[in-house]
Amino acid sequence: MKVSQDLVLDVSEVLLTEEQIGAKVVELGQQISTDYAGRQLTLVSVLKGSLPFMADLMRSISLPLRIDLMEVSSYGGTTTESSGLVRILKDLSAPIEGRDVLLVEDIIDTGLTLNYLLRYLKGKNPRSIKVCALLDKPARRLVEIPLDYVGFQIPDAFVVGYGLDFGEVYRNLRFVGVLRPEAYES
Amino acid sequence: MTDGESPRGPRSDHGFAHASEAEFARILDFYQVEWEYEAQVFPILWDLDGNVLESFAPDFFLPELELFVELTTLQQRLVRKKNRKVRRLRELYPGLRIKLFYARDFRALMLKYGRAALVSELSGTLGQVMTHEEADEPSAPAGPEHESDGNGHLVIDRSDAGSGASGESSPGPSRRSRAARRRAGHRSNTGSAPVSPVTLCKRKR
Repeated sequence: MKVSQDLVLDVSEVLLTEEQIGAKVVELGQQISTDYAGRQLTLVSVLKGSLPFMADLMRSISLPLRIDLMEVSSYGGTTTESSGLVRILKDLSAPIEGRDVLLVEDIIDTGLTLNYLLRYLKGKNPRSIKVCALLDKPARRLVEIPLDYVGFQIPDAFVVGYGLDFGEVYRNLRFVGVLRPEAYES
Repeated sequence: MTDGESPRGPRSDHGFAHASEAEFARILDFYQVEWEYEAQVFPILWDLDGNVLESFAPDFFLPELELFVELTTLQQRLVRKKNRKVRRLRELYPGLRIKLFYARDFRALMLKYGRAALVSELSGTLGQVMTHEEADEPSAPAGPEHESDGNGHLVIDRSDAGSGASGESSPGPSRRSRAARRRAGHRSNTGSAPVSPVTLCKRKR
């Protein structure tokens, strides 16, 4: 993996600018504020990719809310080789029973991780559970799960930035861009 | 592999026709999605007497999702035939949900999981798996080119292996017999054994 010192050089195309993302997050926040008025909302963010989205989204919601963080192992990751099964690396820090949970995700592509997480979280008896994803890449979908709030539907390309990584790099880009093939083919 | 038969070793030795299928099964196992391997055979072409001339067995069936998945990481020439089969399948069985995973999809999946370096060995002809019997046989046409022997007999590609010979006249999809599925190297994770990253698993929930 060859990473340029200036990360922007590894991006072939800016798919979503910082401004576009910001405007969409505000829009989502307003919609969620309306929909969850008077309810006990908990935002659950899935580390690490959704961290910037979570940070911006929670500040765009005007309601009182709780936040919580989860992390699950990813296929192919070094922490998972021993079992061959997805694992919860960081669980919720507070119960969600009886609360209205909104799962905040950076991107949904195959839906496999989301499918696992929803099954797991439903087992904790929340009052409701919905999904808010910044990016939806339907071309790769295996598990069809209704997404309640979607920022953008994106084409079938490998994207980085605004939390999305390749090899743990590029998360700090302020926009979402398409990674140059040279960056991952090397 | 039937329950209780859990030979250890590389998955590709256990009946998957292609290394990409074994890798895909590992991904499904990882995320605890139930799957069956080549579980159903769908006739897609009959002669005038109702005998099945051609059938198609999608690689995976995901029962919880009611979704069939066909992986095709081979060269474009062969993909066209696979596309035709899937189109035909959709025409004949409109309620059936099937997703075709092309080489580019598989490559993207590997990239997402940080396994891009394995793409070349898991896809294309490099990823094809031959049984010892196949290796000993004279060179037969590979994969989807195995479609018809010109005598009204069902001749099948590797993914259809074991679906029976001529005269299968049922108009609907058929579940394979246990023996046929064993011949075809049937795999399922819907049993009860624990999963390991090396050996094929049965069920995780």
